[in-house]
Amino acid sequence: MKRSLIAMILVGGKGSRLNEITKDTAKPAVSFGAKYRLIDFTLSNLTHSNIEIVGLITQYEPYELMNYIGNGGSWDLDTIDGGISFLTPYAKSGNVQWQKGTAHAVYQYFNFVKQYEAEHVLILAGDHIYKMDYQKMFEHHLEHDADLTIASVDVDLAEAKRFGMIEYDQTTKIIGFEEKPKNPKTLHASMGIYLFKTGVLEKLLNGIDQEESVDFGKDIIPKAFHENYQLYSYPFTGYWRDVGTIDSLYQANMDMLDDRHFLSLNESKGIQIYSKSMNLPPHVVLEDGIIKKSIIADGSIIDGTIIHSSVGYQTVVMKNSHIEDSVLLPQVFISENVRLKNVIVNKGVIIPENYYLIAKKVVVIDNSNLMEVGAIDE
Amino acid sequence: MNNLFMVVDATIKGSFNKLTRHRMPGAMPFGAKYRLIDFTLSNCKNSGIRNVAIFPYGNYRSLSDHIGSGDRWDLSRRKDGIFILQPKNLNLKSEDSISFQRMYEHIEYFIRSAQDYVIVSPANIVWNIDYNDVLVSHLNREADITEVLSFEGQRLKTFLISKTLLLNYIKNYDDLQYRNLTEVYDYSPSIHKNAYVFESACFLIDSPYELFKANMSLLSMDTRHQLFNPQHPIFSKETMSSPSRYGEEAFVKNSIIASGAVIEGAIFNSIIGRKAIVKKGATVKNSIIMNQCVIEEGAFIEHAILDKETKVMSNAKVMGSPDDLFISEKKQIVVGDEELKILQIAVECEPFVKTGGLADVVGALAQNYSKLGVQSSVMMPLYPRIKAKYQILLEMRSEAIVLYGDIKYKATLYSYLNQNTNYYFIESYDFFDRDEIYGYYDDGDRFAFFSKACLGFIDIFDELPNVIHIHDWHTGLLPLLIKKDEKAKHIKTLMTIHNIDYQGVHPTAILSKVGLNDIVHYHQTINFMELGLNNASTISTVSQTYHDELRYEYYSKNLVEIINRRDRDFYGILNGLSDEIDPLTDLSIKVTYGPKNVFTMKPQNKKFLQQTMNLSVGDEFFMMGMVTRIVEQKGFDILIPALEEFMSQPNVQFVLLGTGEEHYISALRKIEARYPNRMKLNIGYDATNPFYIYAGADAFLMPSRFEPCGTSQMISLKYGTIPIVRQTGGLNDTIEQFDSVSKKGNGFKFYNYDSRDLIFQLQNALNLFMNGDQTVKHQLIRNAMASNFSLEVSAKSYVELYKTMIGSSNR
Repeated sequence: MKRSLIAMILVGGKGSRLNEITKDTAKPAVSFGAKYRLIDFTLSNLTHSNIEIVGLITQYEPYELMNYIGNGGSWDLDTIDGGISFLTPYAKSGNVQWQKGTAHAVYQYFNFVKQYEAEHVLILAGDHIYKMDYQKMFEHHLEHDADLTIASVDVDLAEAKRFGMIEYDQTTKIIGFEEKPKNPKTLHASMGIYLFKTGVLEKLLNGIDQEESVDFGKDIIPKAFHENYQLYSYPFTGYWRDVGTIDSLYQANMDMLDDRHFLSLNESKGIQIYSKSMNLPPHVVLEDGIIKKSIIADGSIIDGTIIHSSVGYQTVVMKNSHIEDSVLLPQVFISENVRLKNVIVNKGVIIPENYYLIAKKVVVIDNSNLMEVGAIDE
Repeated sequence: MNNLFMVVDATIKGSFNKLTRHRMPGAMPFGAKYRLIDFTLSNCKNSGIRNVAIFPYGNYRSLSDHIGSGDRWDLSRRKDGIFILQPKNLNLKSEDSISFQRMYEHIEYFIRSAQDYVIVSPANIVWNIDYNDVLVSHLNREADITEVLSFEGQRLKTFLISKTLLLNYIKNYDDLQYRNLTEVYDYSPSIHKNAYVFESACFLIDSPYELFKANMSLLSMDTRHQLFNPQHPIFSKETMSSPSRYGEEAFVKNSIIASGAVIEGAIFNSIIGRKAIVKKGATVKNSIIMNQCVIEEGAFIEHAILDKETKVMSNAKVMGSPDDLFISEKKQIVVGDEELKILQIAVECEPFVKTGGLADVVGALAQNYSKLGVQSSVMMPLYPRIKAKYQILLEMRSEAIVLYGDIKYKATLYSYLNQNTNYYFIESYDFFDRDEIYGYYDDGDRFAFFSKACLGFIDIFDELPNVIHIHDWHTGLLPLLIKKDEKAKHIKTLMTIHNIDYQGVHPTAILSKVGLNDIVHYHQTINFMELGLNNASTISTVSQTYHDELRYEYYSKNLVEIINRRDRDFYGILNGLSDEIDPLTDLSIKVTYGPKNVFTMKPQNKKFLQQTMNLSVGDEFFMMGMVTRIVEQKGFDILIPALEEFMSQPNVQFVLLGTGEEHYISALRKIEARYPNRMKLNIGYDATNPFYIYAGADAFLMPSRFEPCGTSQMISLKYGTIPIVRQTGGLNDTIEQFDSVSKKGNGFKFYNYDSRDLIFQLQNALNLFMNGDQTVKHQLIRNAMASNFSLEVSAKSYVELYKTMIGSSNR
């Protein structure tokens, strides 16, 4: 069935900068905000933008992510003539095609695009926290008859070095592009959201099979810019975070704690962020529980003190434990008399009695490094 | 594949009152994020049951919205799945449990189901059970029917039976003496019964108190573990809400908080639903706060069930007690403890003037309101007979010129304060200086003028009333007049229908006479009641069953559409009886008596009645009585054929007091002539003392075609005289069918408006009285006398309704 616009989500990246947290899971499956996974945001945006054909390009530890997404029903993406397709690496003539960079992944699955005769292809990342109506970007794209539209958002100067930076004129036409510049000329960062005319994308990808590694940010965008395609920017103004690092993941969690109306997650109008239901009972606060300035997900049992922290689902915090400025990912067990500050506790970690870790800089506690980063108070 | 299929009994209505106005019990929120039916459906999924039928009654929109395709419970299947089998006959009354008749409506479902055994279980039960364990017990014991009991021995209305046997009952439901599986289990002698005791936590929830108890027990870890077993999770509809958020001043102890809740206040021992907001300085104790409630700053809530989206305003106090929970209605706004000021406007009121039950109700409510701390006033016309009797007590308050049509009329306002209730009387030479209350050619003008004059005197109140409560059609123009009145337009209006057959149809010219010139009206006449129902903020009637019946054209006739349109604002509140009516203090009867000496004293009254009526004297006669208007409504079309047959039995007597339509009277006279020693008609209201009949008869007949509320049955209950009634209106709400096995119930009732059904119940009563076990009969009489329908209870219900109205955004 012919579509004017389809989406492809790149979830292949290992997220090596998130080390322990992505040890066993793809980055988009990482938990955020007590009950969400990073991929929830992109999938929910797609649903609310009425884009029903979604290809998910996965490579690294795809099982948990695939299991989580299932048929996409939780995001209403299980329609009869649409839905989510998992595009995993496959063997071609006995030769395993491990993806070599983000653009290569799309190249390998270009048949998916062709199958729907889509005129435009939206390329998304699966690990950003934001709410965005892609239809508005699409309108912008059509309005300017762009060959390629790149969503951009203004960032702080300090952050600018992490991103591809875009210069654009009053009509939003792109007049300059730099990937991770040392001395940024603008504060408009590329959000890694690209909307291509299918023909243009096909031309740009042509022949990249021979290359060692091809990325959109590093290779394709500069190439398009230099080959004089019509590139436009779609300036986005809402909250947006690429949580590619421990610090940014921690900070985004703290943003959610500090802003009562963070992304309007609790409102039933506009884009709503769907998440797969875990069928958990509501959380319980026992006699000794004290919770302030925090968010708590379902299935948790709290008998300790939680200050300014995010507590994932099915987490237990026992008596006389004190958690402050921390992120407990789901299914953590905190025994009695534990003191934690400034930490991220990885999913499923059991923190033993009398453990303490008052960190100055954010530390990830995992089963593997538990006794290295903290200690038992005798 | 599993060899079980499931019938979810959602026909049970329970007595949830407000909480089931917009939903059925199965859809009741529970445990902060669930609905009751989630437990039964999750048990099906966890037991591997894939074929489920839900039999709902009435309004199941909320239930079917919740269930959706059933995919949450793996019940969205190609083969089997979930079926909501709606009632085909909307007139079937809700019963204690699903009847074979109800199943027969969908017998195809049972025939088509491929599984050999069926579980029948209610939608309103909270537990975590594996139905296969019940099946194993059933098979091991080679039982025909297995009933599931709680570990405390409570019956859970849950049965396992083979499809073949169940189909047998369903097919033959019309010939069976058992209506449902409970009766089969209790009475069928020929089948092999088995009881399966469920050892874990379970709650059959059919009242707000059960709901409260079950919710509170979730606060015990033990119960939580039994209900929320990770191996058998409870599934619920997927909803979106962010995790719960706690503010800086949050203080929560021993509570369950659902996702999306925002907690900034203090919470103790409570269940907080999804997206509920508890603001700073607010306190919630021992309460159930359902989804999306908002508790504003400084509010205090204890022992309450707040239905979805209730808003409690700043500093409001809501205090129930364990025995008297505060229950809000969905979307109610609970205001602070501001004083209620209620003005009733009616054309008759006890003790001043009375033609019928309306006056009793208005008068008794007014007095009870004062006792409940409500500022209570009544406004009514000043009839000469009132003036004659109360002249020295009346205080002249104000005079006004009321423009009605083109003519200026003088009206005078008098007041009389009695036991904290203010009675206001409007005197008008032109309209009210007459001997009778009703029955004049210009009744429409008279009561339209009265309505206008009432509004003209509204200034007499230092503070305007919160609610003006009007009764029946006479004051039907008032809601519209109030809406159009600059001063009064914020006052809420409640209109109570006492009998929808009297609507007040009068010339359209009245509209312009009262100054409503801008109303477009196409008909020659206006209907006072219709105008009232259209414009009152809220409407009510005098019993829950009459409320339900009015949805059907059979009862509400030309007004059926408007009744259904206003369904959301329509309430049923049962009238009660004045406490003064009591055989213990009734000096007009032969001998006074109470529950203690009824069995020795009542026969003396019976003997006296027989003597007074010139009937054969003796306790071997079964004495039936009636005090009634002799009109079609009261059931004479079925009574007369029934009497013709039933009176032929030699030990039956019948006494009637009343007046009415001649053709009924002459038909009755013919029967009377046939049995002069056993039947006596007293035609005319004063023909005899009605209490001779209430005190002397064994049974009291009310085969009414419809009966909005009725008081005679309440009087006869108090006098230990057993009512035999048709199951309609207030009769249905006050009379519970007597069951000689459980010895529960206070009378006899039948549903179909049919002589045969009346005779059947007459025969039932006769058998019990003449041939039955004396202890059983005595228990029935005790039950009857213990029934308590007091106007005090009605007054409390109305006060709650007024509060709901004040808190609602309706106009």
